[in-house]
Amino acid sequence: MLDGLYGWAFLVPLFTALSFVIVGLAGTRMRRLEWGGWVAVAFAGASMVVGVLIGIGEMVNPGTYTDVRYTWLHLAPAPGPFPNGFSLVVGTLVDPISALMLIVVTVVGFLVMLYSIGYMHQDRGLPRYYSEISLFLTAMSGLVLADNLLEFFLFWELVGVCSYFLIGFYYERPSAASAAKEAFIVTRVGDIMFLLGIFIYFYHYSTVAPGWAANGFLFTNGTAPYLGAALGGNSTTLTIAGIMILGGAAGKSAQFPLHVWLPDAMEGPTTVSALIHAATMVAAGVYLLAVTSLFLGFTSTDQLAIVGIGGFTAFFAATMAVVHPDIKRVIAYSTISQLGYMVMAVGAGFAMVGLFHLFTHAFFKALLFLAAGSVIHAVGTQDLFKMGGLRKSMRLTAVAFAVGGLALAGIPPFAGFWSKDDILSAVYSQLGSHPAYWPFFLLAFAAVFLTAYYIFRAWFLAFSGDHARDPGLAHAHEGPWTMQVPLVLLSALAIGAGLLVFLPGFQSLLLSGAGASGIPPVYGTTDLVISAASVTLGLGGIALAWLLWGNGRVYALPETSAAQPVRRLLLKRYYFKIGYDWIGAKGVYSVARAADFFDRYVIDGTVHGFERMFALLSDRLRRIQTGVVSDYAAYVVAGLIALFAILLIVAPYVVARLGGG
Amino acid sequence: MSLEEVAFLVLAVVALITAVAALLVRELVHTILWIAVFFVDISAIYFLLQAPFLGVLQLGVYAGAVTVLLLFGVMLTRKRIFSREAATGVDAVPLALALVTFIFVVTSVGELPQSSQTIQSYDPTLLSQNLFGVNGPWLLLLGLLMMGAVAGSIYLVREGRE
Amino acid sequence: MTALPLVGFLALSSALFVVGLFGILTRRNFILVLIAIEIAMNAAILNFVYFGAFSSGTGGLTGQAVAVVLIGFAATEVAVGLAIVLALNRLKGTINVAQATDLKL
Repeated sequence: MLDGLYGWAFLVPLFTALSFVIVGLAGTRMRRLEWGGWVAVAFAGASMVVGVLIGIGEMVNPGTYTDVRYTWLHLAPAPGPFPNGFSLVVGTLVDPISALMLIVVTVVGFLVMLYSIGYMHQDRGLPRYYSEISLFLTAMSGLVLADNLLEFFLFWELVGVCSYFLIGFYYERPSAASAAKEAFIVTRVGDIMFLLGIFIYFYHYSTVAPGWAANGFLFTNGTAPYLGAALGGNSTTLTIAGIMILGGAAGKSAQFPLHVWLPDAMEGPTTVSALIHAATMVAAGVYLLAVTSLFLGFTSTDQLAIVGIGGFTAFFAATMAVVHPDIKRVIAYSTISQLGYMVMAVGAGFAMVGLFHLFTHAFFKALLFLAAGSVIHAVGTQDLFKMGGLRKSMRLTAVAFAVGGLALAGIPPFAGFWSKDDILSAVYSQLGSHPAYWPFFLLAFAAVFLTAYYIFRAWFLAFSGDHARDPGLAHAHEGPWTMQVPLVLLSALAIGAGLLVFLPGFQSLLLSGAGASGIPPVYGTTDLVISAASVTLGLGGIALAWLLWGNGRVYALPETSAAQPVRRLLLKRYYFKIGYDWIGAKGVYSVARAADFFDRYVIDGTVHGFERMFALLSDRLRRIQTGVVSDYAAYVVAGLIALFAILLIVAPYVVARLGGG
Repeated sequence: MSLEEVAFLVLAVVALITAVAALLVRELVHTILWIAVFFVDISAIYFLLQAPFLGVLQLGVYAGAVTVLLLFGVMLTRKRIFSREAATGVDAVPLALALVTFIFVVTSVGELPQSSQTIQSYDPTLLSQNLFGVNGPWLLLLGLLMMGAVAGSIYLVREGRE
Repeated sequence: MTALPLVGFLALSSALFVVGLFGILTRRNFILVLIAIEIAMNAAILNFVYFGAFSSGTGGLTGQAVAVVLIGFAATEVAVGLAIVLALNRLKGTINVAQATDLKL
C-alpha cells in the first residue's frame, strides 16, 4: 500500500526546495515574528512525513526498486560514439539503501530545524540560515534519491556548496570564513577524484556494457542493479575508478588524509554541525561507497584500500579526540572516527551493515551535538575546562549527553552497540580470506576503548563535580521547549534505533542490500566473543575517564612526563594542518606565481610585442607620405622599374622553366 | 658616314645638351631660351625623318606657342625681375632611378637591326588623307579635349579664388 | 633615299625621356617640372615618328598622324599646367613644389 507513495518520492526534496525559495526571498519580512523559521520547520516536517512513510514502506516490503525518471536530454541514434542514441535522465530511485538514508536525512533534518528555532533565537541573518539549511536538506535528499551517477554528483556538489555557506555563516569572523574555504577546497580535492572516477567508469563501461552510459549512467536498469564486478572488464581500470571514488568519499567524509577540514568546520553554528557534519553530509561519502559497491563494483584491491583507510582513520581520529579541550571538536573527531568504521564495513563487503551504523550514528551523534549546543547556549563557552557541575542545573541535557555517549561507546542496549558490533563482526569474518585486514581490524578494535574514554571525559568535565571551574561562567539553565523536544526524541531514537534490528522487516532490509554483494551476511549471528570484548573495552574506557576526570577532578599530565610530547602532537593534530598549509603556500603558490609570470611576460608580452611592432611599422610607413609630388613621382618610377624587371627578367625565366618542365 | 648620318649625330647631341641645360641653369628665363632651341632642334630631326609637315607643326606649336606660354608663366609668377628661382643640385635617388630606367629601355636595343635603313618619304596629301580619314576620330577627340582644357584653365585662373 | 640608324634614334629618344624624367623627379620649381614633362613628351612623340618612318607600308603615315594629335595634346597640357601654376601661385604665394604639401597626412 505504501509503495504507491514511491512515485511521489520527489516531494521530499521539493518541499524543502520550496522552503528555500520562500524563506530566502521573503524571509526578511518574516523576521519580526520569526515566521521564516517556522515555515522552514513546516516544510521540513512535510518532507519528513513523506520520507518516513517511504522508509517504512520499504522496510515492510523490502527489496523493491522503484525508479521514476524523466529524460531531459536525448540524442537520436547517429553514427559516432553513441550509435544507439544517448540520453541523460533525472529521477528518483527508492530502494532499500536509499529508503534507510531517507529516514535519517528527513528525521534528523526536521529535529535540527526545530531545535534551531530556540538555539539561533538571537542571531542575525536568520532568513539566510533557514533558507540555506532548507537548500541543504533539498540537496541531501536529492542525493539520496538520485537514480543515476550524474544526478548523484550534481547533488553531491550542491551539498558541498551548502556546507560552505553554512560553515561560513558567521562570515564576519575570519576564522569562520577561512574554515568554510578550507572545507570547500579540501572536499574539492575529493570531488575531482570523484569526477575522474566517473570518467573512468564511463570509459570502462563503454567497452563492457555500452548501454550504461548511453542510458544515462543509471544505477539500476529498472529492476536490478548494474554490477560492475559481475560484468567483468578490465580490472585495473575498475580498480583505479574505485580508488577515485574512494578519494571522493574520503573528501566528503573526512577520512585520512582529507580529514583536516572537519574540526575547523565547527566554526559554524552547532545546529549546522549537528546536521551536516554529523548526521548527513559527511555520511554522503559512506553512501557513495555503499552505492558504488552495490551497483557499480569494487575490486578486491579497492576493498583493501577502503578497509585500510577506514580502519586507520577510526583509530587516528580517536587519538586526537583524547586530549582536545573544545567540546565540539571532541565530537567532531568522534564523527571522523565513526565514519571510519562505516567505511571499513563497506570496504569489507558489507555495505548494509555500514549503512546501519550510519543510521544509528546519525541519531546519537546529532543528539550529542545538540546536547553540546544546549550547553554552549547556556554557559556561552565551548571550553570543557571552564565547565563543571552542570548536571545539577541542566538535568535533561546531562541525561541526553549521557545517552548519546553510551550509544557512541557501544554499550547495550543503546543503538551504537548493535551497529558497531555488527561492523566488527563483519570485518572479523573476512579476516580469514583477507589477512591483510588484520592491522586495521585491531586499530578499529582499539579505537573502541579510546572512543568510550574521550566521550566520557567530555561528560565528566562538563557535568560532574559541584561547580564550574571558571567562576565567571554564566548561570546555566535549560533551553526552550524547541530545544528540549529534539533532545528527548533523539535520545529515544538513540536507544531504540538499534532495537530495530529485531524487526523481521528490518532484518530482510539489511539482507536484501547485502545479498547484492554476493557475500553471505553475518548479521544476526553476531560473534558473542567480539561483542563481549568490545563492551568490556567500552566500560573500561568509561572507568578510566571517571578515574581521571570524575567528581570534578582534573587530571593534569606532569610537565616532565614522557607523554607530554605525545600530547602536544595530538593537540596539534599531528601537524597535518601545518603541513597542508605549507604545501599550499609554498607549492601551489609557487606554481601560481610561475604561471602568472608566464602569463604576464610571455603571453602578454607577445601581444604587446605585436602591438609595438604594428605601431612602429605604421609610423615608419606614414613617413612615405611627404605631400611632395616629386617624391610620389619617384615612387611611380620605382614601380615602373619593378614592372620592367618583372617583364624583362623574371617572366622569361619563369616561362623558360615552365615551358621546359 | 653619309651626310644624313652626320646630321643626325649633330642634331642628337644638340638635343641632349639643350635638354640638360634647360633643366640645370639657374636663371628661369635662360631655361626658356634653351628649351626653345631644343624644340627647334627636334623640328629639324623631323625634317630629317622625311616628315616636313610635322616639322613645321613642331615649329609652330612648340617653338612658337608653347615657348611663349611658358614665358608668360614665368613672367606672371616672378617676384622680382631676374630672380634666381630654379633649384639646382642633383639628388642621388632620382638620378639612380632615371639611369635604371634608361638601362631598361635601352636593353631592347639588341633586338633591333643595327645598321642604317632607308626611310620613306610621303606626300603631305596622303598624310592629310590619313589624318582626317582613318585617324579622324582621334582628331575630333583632341578638339573636344582642347575645349575642355580651355574651359578648365579659365576656371582655374579666374579672380575670386582665394 | 636617306638611310639612318634606327638604334641611334632609339638611344636618343630614350635618353631624352630619361632627362625629362630626371627633371620631373628633381626640380622644385613647378615651371621647370612642366618643361621637363615637355621634354619627355617630345621624346615620346619622336618615338612614334621614327618607328613609323622605318616601317614599310602606311606605317609612316600612321606614325605622323599620331604625332600630330599628340603634339596638340601636349600643347594643351602645357596650357592647363600653366593655369595650375597661376592658381597655385595665388594660393601659396610660391611655385615651389615642395611647399604644396596640403595632401600630407
